Amino acid sequence: MKKASVGLLVKNVLVLVFALIYLAPLYIAAVNSIKPYDEVIKAPLQLPVKATLQNFADAFQSSNMLALYQNSILITGLSVVLLIIITSMAAYIIARRTGKLYQALYIFSLAGIMIPPIVTLIPSIKTLSALHLLYTMPGLLLFYGGTYFSTTIFIYVGYIKTIPKSIDESAYMDGANPITTFFRIIFPLVKPCTATAVIFLGMWIWNDFLNPMYILGFSGGKTITTGIYNAIGTYTSKWNLVFANVLLASLPIIIAYLFMQKIFMKGLTSGAVKG
Amino acid sequence: MKQNKLYDTIFLAPGFIVYILFMIVPVVMCFYYSFTNWDGISTTFRMIGLKNFVTLFRDASFFQVLKVTVIIMVVTSVIYNVLGIILAALLNDKGKLSSISRSAIFIPTVMSAVVVAFIWSYMVQTNGGVINSIILALGGSAIDFYKTPLTTIFVISGIICWNSIGFFVVIYLSTLSTIPQELYEAAKVDGAGWFHRFRHITLPLLAPGITINCILAVAGGLKQYDHVKVITGGGPGGATQTVTLFSVEKAFEYNRRGYSSAAVIVLFIIIVILTVIQLSISKRHEVEY
Repeated sequence: MKKASVGLLVKNVLVLVFALIYLAPLYIAAVNSIKPYDEVIKAPLQLPVKATLQNFADAFQSSNMLALYQNSILITGLSVVLLIIITSMAAYIIARRTGKLYQALYIFSLAGIMIPPIVTLIPSIKTLSALHLLYTMPGLLLFYGGTYFSTTIFIYVGYIKTIPKSIDESAYMDGANPITTFFRIIFPLVKPCTATAVIFLGMWIWNDFLNPMYILGFSGGKTITTGIYNAIGTYTSKWNLVFANVLLASLPIIIAYLFMQKIFMKGLTSGAVKG
Repeated sequence: MKQNKLYDTIFLAPGFIVYILFMIVPVVMCFYYSFTNWDGISTTFRMIGLKNFVTLFRDASFFQVLKVTVIIMVVTSVIYNVLGIILAALLNDKGKLSSISRSAIFIPTVMSAVVVAFIWSYMVQTNGGVINSIILALGGSAIDFYKTPLTTIFVISGIICWNSIGFFVVIYLSTLSTIPQELYEAAKVDGAGWFHRFRHITLPLLAPGITINCILAVAGGLKQYDHVKVITGGGPGGATQTVTLFSVEKAFEYNRRGYSSAAVIVLFIIIVILTVIQLSISKRHEVEY
C-alpha cells in the first residue's frame, strides 16, 4: 500500500512539472502583455502593478490587426469550405464505385500526402502568375486546395465507405439525382468527418506562414502570422508589444480549442489513427 | 443510372482539377526545374542535366544545411516519441490533474509556430530572459542558449517539441485506450512489475501509434522552417539553416530556382526513403492479439 502511494506521489509531481512547463510560457506571454514596458524589464514574472490595455491598443493599430483578422478569417474560412466541398464530392464517387479505375484514382489522389509543401510552392508561384492569380487571395485558396486535397479525401473516403449503400440506393429509387442525394442525405451523415476536416484544415491554414508569405507577397494582404511576423520584426525588444501581438494572434484559436476540446481530440485521433 | 458517367465527372472534376493543377503539376515541374538553370524571372532557360545536383553535393554549405536538418529531425523525433510515450502513460487516467495537464500540453499545438517562436525567444534570452532571470534569482549564472550553432539547434528543437508534442501525446493516448485492461490484470496476477508490464504489454501494443508518430515526426522534422526563420533566420552565417530555409533563400533571394528545386528534390527523396524504411520495419514488429 505504501509503495503504491509513493508511486502516485511521484507521478503527480511529474504531471505537475510538465503542466507547469506548458503553462508557464503562456502565463509569461499573458501577464507581460498587460504591463508597461519598464515593468516587463524589471519584473517579468510578477503580476502587473499597473495593468494596462495600452499594448493591445498599440498593437492593434501598428499591426493593422483588423485587416489581419479579416484576411485570416476569409482565407481560412473560404479554403476550408472549398476543400470540403470539392473533396467530399470526389470522395463520394471514389467510395461508392468499384472497379480498377476508381481504385487507381484513389491511390492517385493520396499521392500528395507525402509531398512536403516546399516542393509545390516554387512551381505554383509560376502557375499562379500565369493565371494572373499570384499575390491574390483566390490564388492562395487554390494552392491550399491542391495542398490539402489528399489528406482531406483520405479522411472522407474511409468514412463514406462505412455508410450503407442502401441509404443512397433508396434515394435513387425515389427518383433523386446524385447531386441532391449527396448534399441532402450523405453530406449530413458524414458530419463527424467534416468536423475532423474543419479542425485540421482550419488549424493548418490559420497558422500557415511560409505559403502566404510568398503567395500573397507584399501586395496580396497579410495574414495574422505573416502580419505579426513583420510587425514584431520592427520592435523585437519591446516585449510588451510583442506579447500583445502574440496574444491577439493566438487567442481566437486557443478559445476555439478550449470550447471544443472534445471535438478537437476526437477529430485528431480519428484522422490519425486510421492512417 | 445511365447518367453515371456524367455525374461522376461533375463530382470528381472540381477536386481533381485543383489537385492536378496545384499538386501533381508542381511536383512534376519541381523535378523538371531541378535539371535546368532557370532563374525564376527569364522566360528562357535550358536543361543542364545533373549539374545542379553535382553543384549541390560539392557545396559545403549544403552539407551544413543537411546536417542541421538531420539533427533537428533526430532530436525532435526522439523527444516526440520517448517523452510522448512517457507523458501519455502519465496522463492516461481519469483524474482531474491529468485532464487539466492534457489540456495544457495540447494548447501550444493549436498555436502558430511563429507565435510560439516569439514567446520562446523571450524565454531563452541571455539578458533578461525568463529562464535566466530564474537561474540568476536562484544564485546561478546565466546560460547563453545561443552559444554555439549546435546549442542553438538544440534549443530550437526543444521549442519545436514544446509546440507540437501535444499532437503526439494524443495519438499515444488513443492507442493506449485500445489496449485491453485484462492483459494488465492477467500480468499482475502472474506477478509482473510495472516495468515488465510496460515492456511486454504496453510497448508492443503501442506499435501502431509508434509507427504513425515516427513517420510524422521524421517527415515533419525534415521540413522545418517557421521556428528557425523566426528565432535565428538561419544565422549566424547560415549555421542554423535547414534545407527548406536554404531552398527558399536560393529561390527567392538569389533567384536560383533550378538549384533550389534540386535541393527540394533531395529533401523529398530523403523523406520518401526514410518513410519506406520505417513502414517496412513496423510491418515486421506489429503484433496480433
